[in-house]
Amino acid sequence: MSLKDTAYRFKEFWNDFKRERSGLVGLGILGFCVLVVLFEPAFLPFKDVNGNWRSISYWEDNPRAAPPVWTNLFAKQKSATTVQYDEATVSEEFVTTERYPGGVKMKVYSFGYDYRYDLSPVDLIVRMTASGNLSADIDVVRPDGQTIYLGSFIESGMKDSPLRFATDTAGRNNVLSFIRERAGEFGINMSNTTGVRPTQLIFSQLEPTMLRSRTPLKGEYTVRVKVPAEIASAPGNEIADVMLVVSGRVSGLLGTDTAKRDLMSGIVAGLKWALLIGLITSVVSVLIGVMYGIISAYLGGFSDTAMSFVWEIFVSIPVLPVLIVMSAIFKPSIWIIIASLIVFSWVGPVKTVRSMALQIKEETYIEAAKALGAGKARIIFKHMAPLLLPYSFANMALAVPGTIVFEASLSLLGLGDPSIITWGQILHDAQSSGATLNGLWWWIVPPGLFIAIMGMTFAFLGFAMDKILHPKLRTR
Amino acid sequence: MYKWYALKRILRGMFMFALLMFVFSLLFNQVNERTQRTQIFEQVKQESARLTNMRADQIEAWRNQRLDQLIKQYRLDRPMLERVMYRAINTVTFNFGQSTVIKSSKGEQQVLAILMEALPRTMLLFTTAIVFQLGIGIFLGMKKAQKPGGSLDRSTSFVTMIIYGMPTWWLGMMLILFFVYMLKLFPSGGLNSVPSPQGFMFILDRIWHMALPVMTLVILGFWGLSFVIRNIVLGVLQEDYIMSARARGIPENSVLFGHTMRTAAPPLVTISLLSLLASFSGAIIFEGIFSWPGLGNLYWVAVQQNDIPVLMGDLALTTGIYQAGLVILDLIYGFLDPRIKVGGKA
Repeated sequence: MSLKDTAYRFKEFWNDFKRERSGLVGLGILGFCVLVVLFEPAFLPFKDVNGNWRSISYWEDNPRAAPPVWTNLFAKQKSATTVQYDEATVSEEFVTTERYPGGVKMKVYSFGYDYRYDLSPVDLIVRMTASGNLSADIDVVRPDGQTIYLGSFIESGMKDSPLRFATDTAGRNNVLSFIRERAGEFGINMSNTTGVRPTQLIFSQLEPTMLRSRTPLKGEYTVRVKVPAEIASAPGNEIADVMLVVSGRVSGLLGTDTAKRDLMSGIVAGLKWALLIGLITSVVSVLIGVMYGIISAYLGGFSDTAMSFVWEIFVSIPVLPVLIVMSAIFKPSIWIIIASLIVFSWVGPVKTVRSMALQIKEETYIEAAKALGAGKARIIFKHMAPLLLPYSFANMALAVPGTIVFEASLSLLGLGDPSIITWGQILHDAQSSGATLNGLWWWIVPPGLFIAIMGMTFAFLGFAMDKILHPKLRTR
Repeated sequence: MYKWYALKRILRGMFMFALLMFVFSLLFNQVNERTQRTQIFEQVKQESARLTNMRADQIEAWRNQRLDQLIKQYRLDRPMLERVMYRAINTVTFNFGQSTVIKSSKGEQQVLAILMEALPRTMLLFTTAIVFQLGIGIFLGMKKAQKPGGSLDRSTSFVTMIIYGMPTWWLGMMLILFFVYMLKLFPSGGLNSVPSPQGFMFILDRIWHMALPVMTLVILGFWGLSFVIRNIVLGVLQEDYIMSARARGIPENSVLFGHTMRTAAPPLVTISLLSLLASFSGAIIFEGIFSWPGLGNLYWVAVQQNDIPVLMGDLALTTGIYQAGLVILDLIYGFLDPRIKVGGKA
């Protein structure tokens, strides 16, 4: 069949397809998904999620099990969101501190944070990379003028070492001692500090009862990292990449899980694997199945019987259980999983294609081709396959969701490839940490919903194609 | 004759099962033998610990002799093909051996006992769900075919497409989230409350525990079924005798469920049973979500505990059930459609 014929048939098909509204919707969603995959970095909140999904240190600045940001819209009390400040304002100040009673010139890296929520952030984290020797004090200036000393770095002999200061753990005692001076004797006696986060105290108004009932103190906060100027400018000492992470009570578009991972990043990174697994498996296996059916029908006789027997063996294998056992024993990579999915799922279209091919085989033009001396391969690939392949396109589209679900099921059992991120693996983590029973809905809903949406997309496409390619099923 | 057809089909199913078991034991030969060797060593170690009235060298000699004996008994010293054959025959005769970790509720370590304990629970869950699915699916499919392109047909077809790729187990998780975590209406999983109540309350309690898993299966199950049934019935409704029945003034429901149903029955039964078989294989995962201790949950547990014998036994049993399903399918088909019985002496 020439290119012109193909183009003509495609145009004809497209004219029909344009009228299927659900098919167009499916095509639209698929196109958007392909766009997201192609420009993945633009959609990833955390750019290096690929390869870092199971790294603990990569995610340590995120809050644990935080709901999505947009839940604030429905909440009466607004929660602080996660923000990261990469740029510090650098200034020089002359200050007197406990360590330098005579006063000293300080290089100050400061970050302004506008706090206008009801529920405080979970943590304030200061990060930097430093070389040589360093001593730095970290404090926060509140809108009411109070300054809370959080803690300090005193390090020596570093070489581009990453430094991290987390208020929630390292600043706890300093914040508590600040409160002890300000809150009344009575208030302290009446409450205990075990369940209190330092950030809750930092971001609430000073009052005698602040350990128990906290009123948020809204306004402009400044977090400062103060380094004595002589240390900062000493040769061999270097400070770079000072940044502040405000770890919010809600975080990201889809929240975080109990391992502090940003779920939005995981979902976006999982999309390409879902598409890849689904498309490769279904296209290859349907092609194999169609060719198998045509060849079996054309050859006839003993080959046909033998091929039907092999087909029957594969049909009687329950795919998922076998896949589960295989993955549990061999611990395969994703490519092996795709290959075994193909091995077990090519059987789908064989029967229909075989019966259709049996009809075509008897057509006169096949006979004519034979009379002209065409070989088996020529007749099969040039005369029969081009006629039957279009019918398999609908099958391909309809096979995609099943494949995605198979992979997700394997991953759900913890049998997926650990070097990649798939939606099934996210659900596995959710299931094994009991997310359903703890109400962490933002961990369970999106991955499954996206699996379902992918399924829906290909169902739209497949059913629309099916209607056009098999006119018998059109609604009469 | 029907009985020859039936016999032939059953024999072929059994042959297929045996063949598959052979393939499986070939495929998983290595890991199977490793587990078996470990089990033999464990057994000899335990037995020799009981020998208190022997000297050390005597125990050593006894141990070696016992090991040899057991390895011979399990034919681990034979050539590979014979070992594989032997294991396949064992599987076909339901001789699965001992589990490594998992025990049945009575404490037995026989894999067969563990499987037989799980099987009825799976059957209970799936038959209940299947009855509901078939009922709703057939009714809805018929109604859809009655007015193709009508609002009911189009809206239900749309829903079918929307839920086409939705994993059953995910819906299960969602229902747990909604009904267990938020509304606190149903238990989160298991067979019965602990301690389980007696008598009539026991049955009620079981139904209460089954409600959520059955609901999950039914909510997702009947849509695809009704879609396929619609297409089959639609073909039959074009026949002349349907038109003549309608012309005679026979009530529409009688035309639909009487005249159409009988002709459409063979493909209808095949397709619905086939889709149910497919869902059985797929829904195996979802038992784990509800901690329903059936065959599917056994996969979860066996994978987590790395209990190879149980995994193998479970696979063999699932394959057997699947195979039996295919055989039953053909038997029903042959029964409903006499033309199918080719090869029998008429």
